[in-house]
Amino acid sequence: METEGKLALVRRRTRRRMVFSVIILLSYFAFVLNWTGAGAFLTRALPGSHITGSLLMFVFLILFFLALELAFLWLYRREG
Amino acid sequence: MRSLLYRLFRAFPATTGFLLASAPLAAAPAPDGGAARHTLNPVAIGMFLLFVLVTLFITWWAANRTRSSHDFYNAGGQISGLQNGAAIAGDFMSAASFLGITGLIFLGGFDGLVLALGAFSAWPLMLFLLARRVRNLGRFTFIDVVSERLERTPIRLVTVFGTLIVVILYLIAQMVGAGKLIQLLFGLPYEVAVIAISALVLAYVAFGGMLATTWVQIVKAVLLLTGVTICAVLVLHNVGYSLDELLVQASAAHPSGDAILRPGLLFKDPLQVTTTLVSMLFGTLALPHVLMRLYTVPDMHQAKMSAFYASVFIGYFYIALLVIGFGTVMLLYGNPRFFDADGGIIGGSNMASIHLATAVGGDMLTGFMSAVTFATILAVVAGLTVSGAAAISHDLYAEVLCKGEPDPAKELQLTRISTLTIGAIAVVLGILFQDENVAFIAAMPMVVSASVNFPVLFLSLFWAGFTTRGAIIGALLGLVSSVVLIVIGPQVWVSVLGFEQALFPYDYPALFTLPMALAACWLFSVTDRSSRADRDRGNYPALLLRSEFGNAPPAGAARSAQRTV
Repeated sequence: METEGKLALVRRRTRRRMVFSVIILLSYFAFVLNWTGAGAFLTRALPGSHITGSLLMFVFLILFFLALELAFLWLYRREG
Repeated sequence: MRSLLYRLFRAFPATTGFLLASAPLAAAPAPDGGAARHTLNPVAIGMFLLFVLVTLFITWWAANRTRSSHDFYNAGGQISGLQNGAAIAGDFMSAASFLGITGLIFLGGFDGLVLALGAFSAWPLMLFLLARRVRNLGRFTFIDVVSERLERTPIRLVTVFGTLIVVILYLIAQMVGAGKLIQLLFGLPYEVAVIAISALVLAYVAFGGMLATTWVQIVKAVLLLTGVTICAVLVLHNVGYSLDELLVQASAAHPSGDAILRPGLLFKDPLQVTTTLVSMLFGTLALPHVLMRLYTVPDMHQAKMSAFYASVFIGYFYIALLVIGFGTVMLLYGNPRFFDADGGIIGGSNMASIHLATAVGGDMLTGFMSAVTFATILAVVAGLTVSGAAAISHDLYAEVLCKGEPDPAKELQLTRISTLTIGAIAVVLGILFQDENVAFIAAMPMVVSASVNFPVLFLSLFWAGFTTRGAIIGALLGLVSSVVLIVIGPQVWVSVLGFEQALFPYDYPALFTLPMALAACWLFSVTDRSSRADRDRGNYPALLLRSEFGNAPPAGAARSAQRTV
């Protein structure tokens, strides 16, 4: 591949890295909502349960981030 | 609560200091005991001795395979992605995570999970942003990466300085915490505990290098994950494997009731949470001993897989800690066996997870978890020691003093001397700081890493306009601002220096110091009109290609190429 072609590919991959990273950062800092009025709904328990939205969010974020990692690796694998 | 946490810091400062450092001093949700010694447990001693024997055997095996600096620093680059992921998890899941986060949940419920999320979330970013590029551009340390396109000597000196600060502060925190912990768990005198830890780590690192360190960390990770799994399953068994029932019973047992299921017991201020999250995330991303592990695998694909497997192990660990944390609330509160005459939990809240092991698994599980905790400390200290030794012998001696062409035998010899020196420094500082409130020392490495190492590493990989001048001024500003804001913050200004009110309200100032460092890097790069700046910018396309497609030339060749750009 020519240098320019390689650089274009790198730039495309860099954009992809940034998109994945921004999703992580937005989700991560959304955790702060738990301590604000805007996130008061998170502190309530789920219907018929003692599990709060806050606790669910903690577990969800971990699983969501792992899923994003799998998607990221899959995209690279598909690209070869 | 302030005096309560202060006593906690005094009793058990470092392993938990960096966690508790961020806990606002609000309402007291739980009693807390002093640093009473734990009853000597023969099972713990037996399992600990077994662990020592196994790891010394690993060291002997690794020593026969460690013949060059390459072997010493990165285990010959032959560790697989899965093995390296386990070793990274072993390096990263410290006693602070295991004991400290469980202790925080025991005290304040949900708020204890803030630091767990902070520590975990760095790993996806490690995969997306750093793993491939750092692996392709460096040889032994992340400093190799930043010096690829920037002026080698000044940038190496600045980043070596940053690395050594992070490593030594982290080491002091680990050693002081370890000394106190061993004192509590095994009844050993503090000084004996610190010397024993240092002697074992020196044996691993000086003889077995990164290969022995890697396998010690893998064994530790397997033991720790096994231990937390057993504890979590036994906790769930008590409540019919119902998470809902666990939370019901925990709420009923805790003095604050179901408030433990919501935020607000330990953290009140969203800005406090944000700055803690920033410090944990970006600090973890640029920890030198963690980044160094990316060079132990043969290629960039394995480096990415390392980050992914580390995420899986660490994510699983923190989800298990959620169960264990609420399990401590459910099973320890109200059980007089675990509380002293003053109503405080024996050994302080950091012993909650060990007490939980006693509650659900008796002496056998207590012994196992105590031995695992000791193994945890050894593995983390070993990783730090390798990283510090590499910064001195590779980055400073080989690359700066010998201009990249050292005598290999002398370099390896210096590496071993550096290892011994770091071990001796760790013992001396560990003993000197034993009666100090070192919570601030424990907070500093994360903040310094986030404000010095991260901006330089990130911008050198992702910004074409980055120059040497911007990097040096940004890194120095990040370092100075981190130290100043920590000194005038609550932990030093109030707890250590005795002033009534802190001049800066937060313990973890990275929310302010990281943007300052980034802004300085940007400003002093875009205004840099020097010929060196032109070369720095011109080097970027070639670096970008190497970072993505590999074929990183050896250091000497890289330098020749750089001279011609």
